[in-house]
Amino acid sequence: MSVDTSYDAIVVGSGMTGGWAAKELTEKGMKTLVLEAGRSTVPEKDYVEHVPPWEVKFHGMRDRRKLEEDQPIQSLCYACDEWSAKFFVSDKENPYTIESGKPFRWIRGRQVGGRSIMWGRQTYRWSDLDFEANLRDGIAIDWPIRYADIEPWYDYVEEFIGISGEALGLPQLPDSKFLPPMELNPAEVVVKNAIANNFGPERVLTIGRVAILTRPHNGRAACHYCGPCERGCITRSYFSSVNATLPAAQKTGRMTLRPYSVVHSLSFDAHTRRVTGIRVVDAKTRATMEFRAKLIFLCASTLESVRILFNSATPEFSNGLANSSGELGHNLMDHVKGGGAAATIPGNEDKQVVGKRPNGIYIPRFRNVKTKQSGFVRGYGLQGGGGRDGWQRGILQTGFGGDFKNSLTQPGPWHFNFQGYGECLPSHNNYAEIDKEKVDAWGIPTLKIHCAFSENEFALRKDMSVAAAEMLEAAGAKDIEPFTDDDPPGFSVHEMGTARMGRDPKTSVLNAYNQSHDIKNLFITDGGAMVSSSCVNPSLTYMALTARACDYAVKKMKKGEL
Amino acid sequence: MDRREALQLLMGGAALQFASPSLFASLRTARILLDTQAPPRTLNPQQNATVTALAETILPKTDTVGATEAGASQFVDLILTEWYNENERTIFLNGLADVNARTQSAFGKKFADCSADQRGKILMELGEQLTKDAQAARSSASGYRGSPAKPNKNFYYMMRDLTLTSYYTSEVVSQQPAFQVNPDR
Repeated sequence: MSVDTSYDAIVVGSGMTGGWAAKELTEKGMKTLVLEAGRSTVPEKDYVEHVPPWEVKFHGMRDRRKLEEDQPIQSLCYACDEWSAKFFVSDKENPYTIESGKPFRWIRGRQVGGRSIMWGRQTYRWSDLDFEANLRDGIAIDWPIRYADIEPWYDYVEEFIGISGEALGLPQLPDSKFLPPMELNPAEVVVKNAIANNFGPERVLTIGRVAILTRPHNGRAACHYCGPCERGCITRSYFSSVNATLPAAQKTGRMTLRPYSVVHSLSFDAHTRRVTGIRVVDAKTRATMEFRAKLIFLCASTLESVRILFNSATPEFSNGLANSSGELGHNLMDHVKGGGAAATIPGNEDKQVVGKRPNGIYIPRFRNVKTKQSGFVRGYGLQGGGGRDGWQRGILQTGFGGDFKNSLTQPGPWHFNFQGYGECLPSHNNYAEIDKEKVDAWGIPTLKIHCAFSENEFALRKDMSVAAAEMLEAAGAKDIEPFTDDDPPGFSVHEMGTARMGRDPKTSVLNAYNQSHDIKNLFITDGGAMVSSSCVNPSLTYMALTARACDYAVKKMKKGEL
Repeated sequence: MDRREALQLLMGGAALQFASPSLFASLRTARILLDTQAPPRTLNPQQNATVTALAETILPKTDTVGATEAGASQFVDLILTEWYNENERTIFLNGLADVNARTQSAFGKKFADCSADQRGKILMELGEQLTKDAQAARSSASGYRGSPAKPNKNFYYMMRDLTLTSYYTSEVVSQQPAFQVNPDR
């Protein structure tokens, strides 16, 4: 087995947080190796956002048999379509198991860029309503940080990635450093005004805050509204590690990015109390090798990072490396969704949108903000938006003939939908463990996941549906259809919490800087670090915590304290 | 260019290193011709005629192209061969037989041989059943899943889905100046 010792730092994963770790560490002078389990991503070749439907075999109906065979779980995600299925893992090569009766949908991307290529791009700051939530409710453990600790890092990350949105001055959803907001369409303006007129100042409809440029920024072009961001972006207008952080790391000349590098485990020296290296299986040749460095950042995703640590067990850490607390793999959370409503918004038939705005609306959390709600703690935000019906409306109509044919080339009525994303409470009973019997395509033991929503999440989902319908009614909507779908955890693709931060090493895996309590040169900066889930999309917070942890790690290293 | 010429052109791959841009254009035309002229893999000639006639009745040629020119029967054959499961294929092929049984009993001929009025009468019948099945699917469904449940086992729903999809996602249709909606499915 080959051993390579030529790096200062190793980052595992090249996605949302791995890209940030690569950028920050290299810019601070560290010679950094980035290990990516999947293939490389070449925008000029791999991005397919401008390929029209007539150039794909099934005209957008997806390659159903191939998906059923290779990606039965991944294809449950809307973005795993006829264009973008290649950005999602093969479920055959990457198996996992679940506890019977507790479905968990684990949606993954293995390529340079990870899931930052197909993410939803919604970008929101968390607030002290979130960071103080566990303490206030007496649930799980307290966050070791507050908004003031992360605020400068939100600024720092946002200035680099570029976020468009509207400033509202809400305490529960602090404003970002915004580029100009995208525009609401006429149906959305109708709903916005109805909410403002009927529900008081606590409820506000605003345009989604997205990591998509509305004017040129840091050498990347403004969005041209082609629509399907999850297929890539040749103008680099939305943020992904491929579009922004990895090129910045590359520019320093200190990054080595190694695709096809499947991390098996970490090696630990019980005398120095340090991780000494990373054992890797080459995905193509199956050769094994070890890379050594003084500093290790796990950015492989909430579940993959803990899988690596479980597979790195030693006699001392028999339940997984860096797991003296016994909390590794536990407290798995994902936003509860499946509650909302859809309707038709009459009027404005003379108005049409130009282009395909890759963004929707957002209603920040209004439950349990100022007034306490009965029936549940925490809250949810509503996403969705309006749009005119397309030709698809004709399928369920019964018309035929020349006039019918022509009518479908013109837009139909304005439709509107709301979909809630609710906070999931942390529970020790929701967890992942290693299943030594079941291995992946590279012979590495896989995860068994035990995760289910509880009463509080169900109550949130129900309330999303009721509140959404109520707002649509106030907007004069027709054919209102409230819904509650039993979407299982994992399906929001916001899984987090499996290596939580905390002040006490007995009850948490990481300290306030994402550093392992047990092993000083080991940092985990993906979603694993989260102590509670908030109700807002988490990627921005992962990125801010990563940049902050890199700053801390390099300062400590320079002082000789790692 | 006919099918035979197209095949000959595509077979001559060895000469490609000396190919000119106009030859590439010809090759593209040849490929499209072959795709649209290849014999169906699942539909027999009678079924193919019924599909073509149904699609062209739903979306007929007027001053703009009809379903046939946009490739409806080729798309239906592709879905029957490479997309539907066995159960869906059976429902679809039985649906085609049922359409011809209806016209035989009402007009004494196959659907494809019927007049426009006769075809329209049959589509009205199919449409009534579609509306009923759509309402049933909507009310019996346990989940919304982003949009109301569809009558997936109604033949006419399947036929309309494939006809409209092949038509409005096609290059020839969605590139028309009057086309004001998103072609994506």
